[in-house]
Amino acid sequence: MDLGRLVGDLLSFVGGLVGDSSLRLGPLPTLALLAVLLVLLSLVARPSTRWMVRDLGHLAAVGRAMALAAEAGGEAAFSLGTAGVARAVTASERLQTLAALPILGHVARAAARAGVPLRVTANDVVAVHLAEGTLGEAHRLTETEERRLRSRAEFTGEGRAVPAAAALGELAAPAAAFADGGVGEESLLMLDGVATGAAWTSFGTATVSQVASVLLSGEGTLVGPELYQAPSDLRAAGHARVGVLAANRLLFAAVAVIVVGSLATLVGGVDLAAALAGR
Amino acid sequence: MRRSLPTALVVVVGLLLLLDFVVINPTLAGASDALLELIVLLAAAAAVAGGIALVVHHARNVIQRGDDVPGSLVLLGGLGVMLAAGLYPGSEGAGDPTVRWLVAALLAPLVAALFAMLFVFLLRATGRGLQLRPRQTAVMLAAATLVVIFLLPIGGSLGSWLAAAAGWTQDVAIAGVFRGLLIGVAVLTAVQAARILLAVDGADD
Repeated sequence: MDLGRLVGDLLSFVGGLVGDSSLRLGPLPTLALLAVLLVLLSLVARPSTRWMVRDLGHLAAVGRAMALAAEAGGEAAFSLGTAGVARAVTASERLQTLAALPILGHVARAAARAGVPLRVTANDVVAVHLAEGTLGEAHRLTETEERRLRSRAEFTGEGRAVPAAAALGELAAPAAAFADGGVGEESLLMLDGVATGAAWTSFGTATVSQVASVLLSGEGTLVGPELYQAPSDLRAAGHARVGVLAANRLLFAAVAVIVVGSLATLVGGVDLAAALAGR
Repeated sequence: MRRSLPTALVVVVGLLLLLDFVVINPTLAGASDALLELIVLLAAAAAVAGGIALVVHHARNVIQRGDDVPGSLVLLGGLGVMLAAGLYPGSEGAGDPTVRWLVAALLAPLVAALFAMLFVFLLRATGRGLQLRPRQTAVMLAAATLVVIFLLPIGGSLGSWLAAAAGWTQDVAIAGVFRGLLIGVAVLTAVQAARILLAVDGADD
């Protein structure tokens, strides 16, 4: 076996691959994209100190809300929005469903401890499957598996209007109601249906055009980026903290780019935005 | 070991798709296309499995005379009619005239009727908002009232001034708020995606 020839062939194969390649976005946008990974990896390797904690979405009070629900003998409702995971919507909307899962986990653990049945609704089969898994995990972690069958995840139908109609037509008023994830033009109808009769509500979405519906309907609110930040406030584990710290650094970087870019445009007529966007 | 294999798969697939997004290379493009096709197939299989589970659940509900039997019957009937219209011999599938008629004559009016209630529910939500946080909702309502006044169909110089004010509000004030929110959402979306991509996630529960 000629090791030298093997290494040579390998290098020429890699060289050929690199030679066939070109950048899709140009150097600056590529660097900007990879900076996200770089910042995150640097923090994974060396996490920094704590960040400022606020009670986003009133989620710190979930335990109390569940205790009250248990006392009243009611159930809790959680809607994962209408974007789902495998539905034909934008990637940023689908990511909101995934961002809502840790919040569902937090609520499910509180419900499991208090013995409150939790009803999760989603209009996507993959999201329902993920919700089932999250419910099971919450009962396993709280050692309350005998109560697992009291909580359930339900599929509420195809299309965005169907979950809204289902929420409006629901007769049972939950003791605590949550709705987190991507929503569309049906948001006000769905949130109102979920909130009707509920003693305690917490709603959140990162869909900017629907923020007003959340602000009007929910007691606790997660608006825009807060939907992604909230899980880090719930559990101060290293990986969750890393997400918030990385986001903070990138936000500072974004603000710096905006300020420097504006000054450069005013003073020297340099269009930094065009270079960053690869134009 | 239980977690390491899925984690490794997530990292490899995620980095491959990211690399294909950044670099133009025929080999990479072929590999990522194959992966994306596999994902589409998996999603389709999940959808079919979900549909079957739905039918089984509601059929059992009807047979055992459980909760809301009429609702289950309507669901099974609707599903059957839609499937028959899309799958009968010679059907054009989703583009078949029968399917299109069912959508246009039944589904579209139902959705329109639902959305027609938005105005009523907006008023109700406003009342709820005023109860929950009066000051913030009052500011929102004042801003909304201002925008409605700007958009009033008035002619003459007053109308021109109102139209200019509406344009300025939309292009400067509202656009500023939207851009601020969008930048925040974009950054957190990128971080969340990177966390999933690098498997620095999932241990929250």
